[in-house]
Amino acid sequence: MANLRTCLAFLFLCCSLCDAVYEDQVGKFDWRQQYVGKVLFAHFESHSQASKKLILATDKNIVASLNPRTGDLFWRQVDKAGPEGHIDTLLFHGQDAVVVTGNGRLLRSWESSVGALNWEMLLDPGSFLAAVLVGTQDSVKFVAVLKKATVSLHYLSNGHQKWTETLPDSDTVHYQAVYSSGGSQLFVLGVVPHSHLSIITFNIEDGEITSQCNSAVCFSSEVLVIQARCTVVGQGVLICADASTLSLYMLPLSSEEPVGLQQSLDLDLALGFQPVLLTTQPNPARPPLAQFFLQLGPDHHVLLQLSDGHLSPLRDFQPAFLVSFATTGEKTVAAVLSPKNETACSVSLYSADSGRRLLDTTVTIHLDPNGGKPEKLYVHAFLKKDDSVGYRVLVQTEDHTITFLQQPGRIVWTREEALADVVTMEMVDLPLTGTQAELEGEFGKKADGLAAMVLKRLSSQLILLQAWIAHLWKLFYDARKPRSQVKNEVTIETLARDEFNLQKMMVMVTASGKLFGIDSKSGMVLWKHYLRNVQPNAVFKLMVQRTTAHFPHPPQCTLLIKDKETGLAALHVFNPIFGKKSHVTPPTLSRPVLQSLLLPLMDQDYSKVLLLIDDEYKVTAFPSTKNVLQQLQEMASAIYFFLVDASQGKLSGFRLRKDLSTELIWEVVIPPEVQKIVAVKGKRANEHVHSQGRVMGDRSVLYKYLNPNLLAVVTESVDTHQERSFVGVFLIDGVTGRIIHEAVQRKARGPIHLVHSENWVVYEYWNAKSRRNEFSVLELFEGTELYNSTVFSSLDRPHLPQVLQQSYIFPSSISTMEATLTEKGITSRHLLVGLPSGAILSLPKMFLDPRRPEMATEQSREENLIPYAPEMPIRTEWFINYNQSVTRVRGIYTAPSGLESTCLVVAYGLDIFQTRVYPSKQFDVLKDDYDYVLISSVLFGLFFATMISKRLAQVKLLNRAWR
Amino acid sequence: MASPGGHGGGAVSTRGGGGTRRMKWALELSLGNTRQFPVPSCRSRGDRQSSQGDTLYPIGYSDKPVPDTSVQEADRNLVEKRCWDVALGPLKQIPMNLFIMYMSGNTISIFPIMMVCMMAWRPIQALMSLSATFKLLESSSQQWLQGIVYLIGNLLGSALAIYKCQSMGLLPTHSSDWLAFIEPPQRMEIMGGGMVL
Repeated sequence: MANLRTCLAFLFLCCSLCDAVYEDQVGKFDWRQQYVGKVLFAHFESHSQASKKLILATDKNIVASLNPRTGDLFWRQVDKAGPEGHIDTLLFHGQDAVVVTGNGRLLRSWESSVGALNWEMLLDPGSFLAAVLVGTQDSVKFVAVLKKATVSLHYLSNGHQKWTETLPDSDTVHYQAVYSSGGSQLFVLGVVPHSHLSIITFNIEDGEITSQCNSAVCFSSEVLVIQARCTVVGQGVLICADASTLSLYMLPLSSEEPVGLQQSLDLDLALGFQPVLLTTQPNPARPPLAQFFLQLGPDHHVLLQLSDGHLSPLRDFQPAFLVSFATTGEKTVAAVLSPKNETACSVSLYSADSGRRLLDTTVTIHLDPNGGKPEKLYVHAFLKKDDSVGYRVLVQTEDHTITFLQQPGRIVWTREEALADVVTMEMVDLPLTGTQAELEGEFGKKADGLAAMVLKRLSSQLILLQAWIAHLWKLFYDARKPRSQVKNEVTIETLARDEFNLQKMMVMVTASGKLFGIDSKSGMVLWKHYLRNVQPNAVFKLMVQRTTAHFPHPPQCTLLIKDKETGLAALHVFNPIFGKKSHVTPPTLSRPVLQSLLLPLMDQDYSKVLLLIDDEYKVTAFPSTKNVLQQLQEMASAIYFFLVDASQGKLSGFRLRKDLSTELIWEVVIPPEVQKIVAVKGKRANEHVHSQGRVMGDRSVLYKYLNPNLLAVVTESVDTHQERSFVGVFLIDGVTGRIIHEAVQRKARGPIHLVHSENWVVYEYWNAKSRRNEFSVLELFEGTELYNSTVFSSLDRPHLPQVLQQSYIFPSSISTMEATLTEKGITSRHLLVGLPSGAILSLPKMFLDPRRPEMATEQSREENLIPYAPEMPIRTEWFINYNQSVTRVRGIYTAPSGLESTCLVVAYGLDIFQTRVYPSKQFDVLKDDYDYVLISSVLFGLFFATMISKRLAQVKLLNRAWR
Repeated sequence: MASPGGHGGGAVSTRGGGGTRRMKWALELSLGNTRQFPVPSCRSRGDRQSSQGDTLYPIGYSDKPVPDTSVQEADRNLVEKRCWDVALGPLKQIPMNLFIMYMSGNTISIFPIMMVCMMAWRPIQALMSLSATFKLLESSSQQWLQGIVYLIGNLLGSALAIYKCQSMGLLPTHSSDWLAFIEPPQRMEIMGGGMVL
């Protein structure tokens, strides 16, 4: 009976927790943007006129197809992250996109119209070198894959291997390229360093080596990289560029006894630049064109032609950043991108045959001054009706933006692919509108007489009234227009805080060094700023120094960028609403910075003080005005910081001295030979805890141990053997270095995901013994009495807290984890768990509660404790992103909104997803489907009924009096 | 307290068959006390209008009977009894209240809450109108004793209501009831840092 009752209670509880999205709410508060990453290979599908597509392969191991008209994704295939799924090459023919992935591990063919997998072949082991489409008799039938020691030929239609051959002398010869020109031969080119070129000819039909010759062309340079500096042009002539002699070597491949020719060119090579050759082979079944580009410097290209064994320059392009060939029908054109002025570039078409410029083919590209330089150029040429050549260009810039342009310079679409790699983000409140600021300003001003105050109040009320009437008028005006015409365009000028502060500015920092300001309501990129000279592996730390609350001071964000190699850091100070660089000059940091610390102290202009700790443990303050330094001197004895050196396994705590130097006050060493520190997490600075304790079943209080200085340190054993591996969790006070609690999970392994909030720590690990993922929760309580209810000082806490722990089985591995956050902390907490499947699970913290009893008692029921069950459920209605999967979710950011019930959530990874969650339902908002009509009609009805009955009663009374 | 006999202020005259048979019966409201001033019942309907003049009383005549001011022993006993009734009223209600309390249970829902409210409100109301009740008891000889009994009864009633509130958990007597008012403690140290970047 008791069991039945607990079951019922449990069911009831679960039902009350369900908060899935209704069908009509889809896309109302949430949005998702899908990205592909930096483009490595791009092809235009141009065979069928009707369905044009753009096929891309990117550095995020993605093959995708874009709609060239809108830039939207047609389809996207995401492979494994990391080197295992790395795309080595993308070949495109007809409807098939052939991809070699994982350093020659797999050969795949994708159907380009729907993104279905045609076939997949596992290749022989060996590192991948090159792949090429092979055609015979004017039709492309095969794919040749060159590996370190083998070359294999596969059918394009089904992927089956036609033949595979081992290459002779593969340990001495560095084979580098494979080439075919439509005949029955396949050439494999290799280099023996400092010696000679090796050319092996295979018969396409049976893979037999028909000839093998070593050319005596002697190259003076060290190691030859064929693909960069040698290439095949025209009717099988190998051309190699030599930087030291400034000459080109020619070698006919097909002749029986190849004789190298050397031809010097009267061209200047930029200092220290290795010449690059660029050729085009429009049809794999035919030989390449006799024309090719030779790049002689970063902005110098020459179009050369090979005719009758003689090279002649057709046209010299300087300055020209990028060149590309494009073919349509029988015509091949060369596109050249050259700088026009500081902010614009132009692309022009030249006839490949003659080097003559084609008329009216210039496309002007306006470069964003806050963007990067063009890096790659892909040209899609097509024949117009009058037989002239038209074209569109895809330009990729350094900041991973891809822009698709058409003549005469109209941007068809732009994709910000840097957003596929968001590193860190913050959400900033939007500024108040003019009228709101007016009101706020009124309260801020000093009082100057009663009459003046009244006048001021009246005037501001008048302004509010005016704004309201204007708003009503606009509503009325818009209501008359058809709905499709009404557009609520968000621009940077119209940005204003909404009533409940639900719309915020998302400041995102990407790995490429580009910063974005995105409107959280619509997902529109409102500003972007590219930071040049950011190293690829730089570390970023974003801090909000001044919020929007201090009108008229503009909000201020500071980004700390640390170069991993030199250790030197730079500060970028900017306005998070407009993205503009601030006028404030940050301090120059001459020494490597170890950590930063944002203090709650404020300068006169309300910017929080940022302390930067360098490798000599000296502190630099920013801003460092007199006021700040004085405040720091006063507060110095209460400012502590800790540093964790994972390589030495050392945690050290420091205290600030009055002269901004520091003294070491504690040190904890976790031996790095046994275990290594993988994560350290403190509490979030903007977290509020409303309730200081938990109400027990007997209505006494169990007070929470809310130590704001508590750190959760997670270690993993160095020994990864299944029996001996372990995971350690240490709770350390960051001020005193006191180890508050220590837990070791035996036979457990990482990766560990950790959330530390309020008085609890939740972590997830892999149980190596039972082969499953497990959640563990630690909760700290002070007991039934508070030691000191007014102040919390780590230096005066004699009693250790009571620690409770419980573990649960979780049926999935997880990618990331974060806790919801609300304005006052009244709303119950949920854990947001990013799953590898792309779903984001909103798991009530109630399920992760170490006080869950094994047997339900009267008291535990009173407390609403769910009886302990080892399995943690995953309910599909807990997925906050329903079917909008967030691929490769890497981080979840939560921010409070103006409504206590609502928490804003941004999940980022390859995609970006933004939504709102209501962990305790919307207790402070009327429901979406609230029946205003019914309620108001009932109200009005009752009101009129009262009026009428009153009148009737009067009449009746009067009549009775007359009687 | 004592009132004269229960003679009504009117007479119903039923007329058999004499005179005009216009009405079966009529109520003569204008008649005085029939005991002292009998009215002939044979009065005809026709001169009713003029009968107003007949009820003119002599000068010095009072329509109301003069109360009998002499208090008799039996009456005094009656007063005492009545006063005790009033004083013991609240105490008598207590068993009834106990029964209701038992029946309504300790769950917090609209019905038990209504019961508790009623139980609490009645003694409070009674205590507020204590002076009026005392005035009522003035005539009794044991006025003070009765007053105290009345007071105790009401206090017991309200104590019962408080006990009920307590057992329902409506009284803020536990530390958990004051939990929401505890301010978060002020932080004495500022701490930050992290992994070496």
